[in-house]
Amino acid sequence: MAGIRALGAAAAVAALLVATAGCAEKDTGGGTDESGPIAVGAILDITGAGASLGVPERKTLELLTKKLNDAGGINGRKLELTVEDNQSTEDGAAKAMNQMVSKKVDLVIGASRTGTSLAMRAIAETNELPMLSMAANVKVVDGAKWVFKTAQNDSAVLANVVDYAKSKGWKTIGLARDSSAFGEGVAETLNSLGKADGISVVATEKFAPDATEFTAQMVNLRNAKADANLIWGIPPAAALAQKTYKQLGITAPVMQSHGIGNQVFLDTAGPAADGLIAPVGRLVVADQLPANDPQKSVLTTFVNNYKAAYNETPSTFAGHAWDAFQLAVDAFKAVGTDKQKVRDHLEQVKGFVGITGVFTMTPQDHSGLGKEALVLVTVSGSKWQLAPA
Amino acid sequence: MTDLGQLLLAGLSVGGVYALVAMGFAAIYAVSGVLNLTQGEFAALAGLVAISASGNGFPLPLAALLGIVTVVVLALAIQRLIIAPVRRMTTLLSIILTLGVSTALKATMLLIWGPEGRGLDPLPGNDFTAAGVAVRSQYLWILGVSVVVAVAVSWFYERTLAGKALRACAEQPVAARLAGISVARASLVSFGIAGLLGGIAGVLASPVYFSAWDSGLALGLKGFVAATLGGLTSIRGAFMGGLVLGVVESLVAGYIDTGLRDAVAFVVLIVVLVARPDGVLRRQVAARV
Repeated sequence: MAGIRALGAAAAVAALLVATAGCAEKDTGGGTDESGPIAVGAILDITGAGASLGVPERKTLELLTKKLNDAGGINGRKLELTVEDNQSTEDGAAKAMNQMVSKKVDLVIGASRTGTSLAMRAIAETNELPMLSMAANVKVVDGAKWVFKTAQNDSAVLANVVDYAKSKGWKTIGLARDSSAFGEGVAETLNSLGKADGISVVATEKFAPDATEFTAQMVNLRNAKADANLIWGIPPAAALAQKTYKQLGITAPVMQSHGIGNQVFLDTAGPAADGLIAPVGRLVVADQLPANDPQKSVLTTFVNNYKAAYNETPSTFAGHAWDAFQLAVDAFKAVGTDKQKVRDHLEQVKGFVGITGVFTMTPQDHSGLGKEALVLVTVSGSKWQLAPA
Repeated sequence: MTDLGQLLLAGLSVGGVYALVAMGFAAIYAVSGVLNLTQGEFAALAGLVAISASGNGFPLPLAALLGIVTVVVLALAIQRLIIAPVRRMTTLLSIILTLGVSTALKATMLLIWGPEGRGLDPLPGNDFTAAGVAVRSQYLWILGVSVVVAVAVSWFYERTLAGKALRACAEQPVAARLAGISVARASLVSFGIAGLLGGIAGVLASPVYFSAWDSGLALGLKGFVAATLGGLTSIRGAFMGGLVLGVVESLVAGYIDTGLRDAVAFVVLIVVLVARPDGVLRRQVAARV
């Protein structure tokens, strides 16, 4: 009996050894060593409510990866991009993030929206994995050690809204906002930024990110009779809200957020978009910028490359992806793939000229953009125009 | 008052779409006890086909027709290939089968049309304002067409011989067969009607509510709730259920909280299933044996 038991134990130990050997072998195939390909994971909102963000982001990352590898990669190492769709859901994002961790990628880009990015943040922090989000809400990076982001903070956008309201003499703002994490805190931030000038939010309406019916929200905004209204969402929802706003004959001026910088918005809203004011990244008006604008050449090169590859103009979301990718590549070029070093390098980025703006990160600010990363644009004849000052 | 009018109009319009989808559920369930969960996908597919056709230069009515015909053909194919071969069909089995088809359809639509939602061009007509209520012409199209279709379908089921034959299959399949009614054919016809209803819902809703690969899910769920309100076997009940659901959603969103809009349908579903499983809008019938 004892002999059989010993045999069984030996067999179990042997099996364990084989299993761990298998794991160890896999480990060397990962991206942790300093010579093989560099593994970058991208977790994007490709299907679901964030589709109009995630799709151009994926296109951009694939385009840039191809260009980089065709040109010889990073210090002789190829970059391997793995794209995962989080279906615009928080649990999808967390699941994909755990997969990336077990694949031992060197860095993660994503997600496209605030809620999904927040779901990934905790996993990035506990696993000490550098992560570059493309979402707007400052909560994604507030107090984070390993997470950075490339979209303008909502507070930078709202500072522009307040400045514009001040110049127009508006005191009361009606708000219709996305009910997901992207819209959270907008009214509070707007109130605190506008306090000095007596600007306040007098009505807050919410809509689901995938809503298609906006009559109720817009009727309530109409009744609030604010000096101006702000719609805070992403297309197509933001565009449908804009359409309903015009259709109900609300005459107060309407502003939108930086969430609308793509063709889907213009196509969906159609003539209803004419005359709105929105603080948006410079990308959509790249051709109208003065020649001395520091971002001009970066922007035009990106627009031309993207057009050549996909026969369409890139959206501001594509721009967020460009920034995340280039920030990562710069870091890999400078310090290799050691995660701690990559993180430290990202935190010291200074004067990086990107698509969304000129980035300067600090330990306190992992977003790196101020309110000057946005310009006020309007829409006329379904085209973006720099707003008259 | 204008607010109430505006909210009622919006509710009736979206309710018209729910009603069409709901009638599709009832059209099939009343004949064969099959619960067809692809009903929402019918609408999404019709919208997407019509958008592609109109993008390729087809005039709008032809594009819409093409979308509807595609869905009718698909519905007939589903009945022939997936429902008919099963010997002992139960409602539960039909749910599992059509859920599988619905998932496959969604994946196919995602592959073909990509993840982004789009809208068909609206049908002709001018938007106007009446008594302070902004009226979109597409709202009137949705309401008008859904009323006409509802009257036509309920007339067919309740007044024509062919329709009565369909309902006979549900109540007494064996007796119906003895009377010379082909149960298999009746089921096929009911799928055709459901496809027609789903297709019409899809092309009507697309200009206002958009079509995407996954828009069928919400539409199907709401349509199912509306059909349940009407007792699942009644065309009229399903139609009324759709309108009621649309209006209640709109009023809740307008007067209570916009965030509750999508909760309405499911609260209603639970209440109805617990309190009146035969449908709110149906006269209580003697217990079925």
